[in-house]
Amino acid sequence: MNRRQFLGTAAGAVAMSALSSSAGQAQTVPPSDQINLGIIGVGSRGREVMRTFLRIPGVRVGAICDIYEPRFAEAQRVLRAEVPSFRDYRKLLEARDVDAIVVATPLYLHAEHVIASLDSGRDVYGEKDMAMTVPECDRIIKAVKRTAKKLQVGLQYHYAPWYVEGLQRIRDGKIGTVTHVFSYWHRNNDWRRPVPDPKDQKLERLINWRMYREYSGGLLAELGSHHLHYAARILGGMPESVTGMGGIVYWKDGREVPDTVQVIYQYPNKSTLFFSSITTNHFEGAHIKVYGTKGTITLTHANGRYNYEPKRAGEAEMEEGQAVRTGLITGPTYRAEMPYSGAAEEFQIPEGDSGSATFLACQSFVDCIRNNKRPQVDEIVGRESGAMVALGNLAIQTGKVIRFADHVKPLA
Amino acid sequence: MRTLFKSALVALLFASAAHCQSPSLRLFSETRPAMGTKFTIHLFAADERKAAEYFELAFDEIDRIEEVLSNYRPSSELSRINSRAAQEAVTTDPEVFALLRLALDFSRRSNGAFDITVGPLVRAWGFFRGEGRYPSAEELAKARAVVGWKNVQLDPASRTVHYRFPGVELDLGAVGKGYALDRVIELLREAGVQSALVDAGSSTMLALGAPPGEEGWRVQIPQPANRTQSVSSVLLRDASLSTSGSYEKFFRLNGRTYCHIFDPRIGEPVQNMLQTTVIASDATTSDILSTALFVLGPAAGKELLRSGPDAKVLWIQGEPQALQLDFWRWPDPVFPSASSPRQSPRRPLADRQFVQRRFFQR
Repeated sequence: MNRRQFLGTAAGAVAMSALSSSAGQAQTVPPSDQINLGIIGVGSRGREVMRTFLRIPGVRVGAICDIYEPRFAEAQRVLRAEVPSFRDYRKLLEARDVDAIVVATPLYLHAEHVIASLDSGRDVYGEKDMAMTVPECDRIIKAVKRTAKKLQVGLQYHYAPWYVEGLQRIRDGKIGTVTHVFSYWHRNNDWRRPVPDPKDQKLERLINWRMYREYSGGLLAELGSHHLHYAARILGGMPESVTGMGGIVYWKDGREVPDTVQVIYQYPNKSTLFFSSITTNHFEGAHIKVYGTKGTITLTHANGRYNYEPKRAGEAEMEEGQAVRTGLITGPTYRAEMPYSGAAEEFQIPEGDSGSATFLACQSFVDCIRNNKRPQVDEIVGRESGAMVALGNLAIQTGKVIRFADHVKPLA
Repeated sequence: MRTLFKSALVALLFASAAHCQSPSLRLFSETRPAMGTKFTIHLFAADERKAAEYFELAFDEIDRIEEVLSNYRPSSELSRINSRAAQEAVTTDPEVFALLRLALDFSRRSNGAFDITVGPLVRAWGFFRGEGRYPSAEELAKARAVVGWKNVQLDPASRTVHYRFPGVELDLGAVGKGYALDRVIELLREAGVQSALVDAGSSTMLALGAPPGEEGWRVQIPQPANRTQSVSSVLLRDASLSTSGSYEKFFRLNGRTYCHIFDPRIGEPVQNMLQTTVIASDATTSDILSTALFVLGPAAGKELLRSGPDAKVLWIQGEPQALQLDFWRWPDPVFPSASSPRQSPRRPLADRQFVQRRFFQR
């Protein structure tokens, strides 16, 4: 369908109306607060982040970059505007009317693109994971320090109200002492994107970069990173060691990264974090379950809840002495919930906090730029997450227990 | 929780298509729950792996649009707008803004028969996650006070949405599925698919091309509340078909039937309309029009159609034993038994000569 035919339909009208709205410049925001974004990498995630940023008053997209040209048209369909498009990210960084950069390229390019963007004098929203290796993470840490610019890493669930509430309840001691985090992100698909010419191996590796070790950290990076660092905030930051297994169990289609991974991280106090990702069964999807001595916090991508543990001897009822003072009441055997999971209390999302986790993360980044604040998910968080993913993958590849102290040096 | 149903398609509906298929392409289908119903995609692909890639592309897009437009999910963009737009002008992205603009334009053109602010009425009448009930006068008055498309202000310059007062809310249930189908077909076409039919809970379908060797994708328009008997059969090719009916969700009280489709202008469920089917070039339009024309009925509906939207329409009113049909550019569609079943007993479906053999092309 050509453009004229496209415009002839209602869907086309939806797609192209507001074309003249200059990619969404809100008139109510003072010029000094207008932010022009440059987007490096406008694949599916880059376009989604770009679309989300356009929901924030005063944010527009000034330029885009991708090495795969068909994505320019896809990006402009999101923008409803034509913006300067570059194949070389260095050209985008030379553009004058770009205030901040979004990096949404394949993982192996994150360090190069984030550091160059910081060095160009712009604040950066960098998609997760921050970088592919620990040394790359360290180079980014230095670049942030050198340039005094801000870096926010795209671990957006940290901004979701139910994640925030879960963390607060844990820190308030509502579930007692946390001894274990059990998490999984399970899917049932091959994780592939269509390639126009399947025989073109260069194109296959460009579009399906997640499948190849040279470019990707696999399931642990693309899915696990969202869970791993949340757990790390609860259990105490960088783990002491990690072991894991993984392999290509089902999708034997030429990919190099495992379609099934399980890793266990251990902390100095011997508490543990388990993460599993499979691609052959979607039952129960994605959960983080934080187990404490007094209760459990369960988080999904849409909500959170709290379950208390059965009370133990010595707590309120026995202290009140009712069993002695008033006696007990007999009757037929009463029914108890089986299996026992305790009463659930769903987290309530406060009014006005609705919006996707990605929206809240993007909104926070803009707020940090406008008000000179430090991002909550900054380069330090990004380094911890990056190290957990990189060393988890190393454990899977080598079959050994990997000690973090052997690979991650304390920050200066 | 998403359940996956995956199988090679040998459905009766497409039996003839499969029979004539090109030797290099096979028919695949996949169904997944989304937007409160099930979406099914039928497409021709070279092999299962290629088909799986297309399905992932398509269902990812459906999931994305649901995450944006759902009024059940607090994290959706629509929920964010609903929670704030009475207090302030809310900036949204170009896609959502354009869809709201289009929907409100249809509200204007239909004099409010199509209205995306109808949500409070749906809730008052118990159809939001429920089976329906008669509201109290107070509930009805409260709902009617906030329903009305003119209570929503769009500012294209700032791309903002603002409600005139608290209580107004948007519900895109009558347009979201059609929009999702348009986006999916666009992506499939760009990915190289030449023949596909996407189906949102059977109420809206959109065809890309035709099955190999066929003129189009065949769709039967059933008698209301009787899916085994059809009143018409059409062939869709690069076109969409949507059906709204009063018989899937309703309750009865004091001899009257109250369905889940509302006339926002009077605050009550539409009476006396059984089913409306619309064929249009895109699914966003057919989805909107099937609701608008269900509310308007044939007389006022034809006035709307004369003003511009290019569509073909079949209205069915009356009682199951005495169906009354009306049309707009719907060429000779009716099996004789549909309008007078007692005088002209139906033949088995497979033996019947389809009256409607024309196909619709964008």
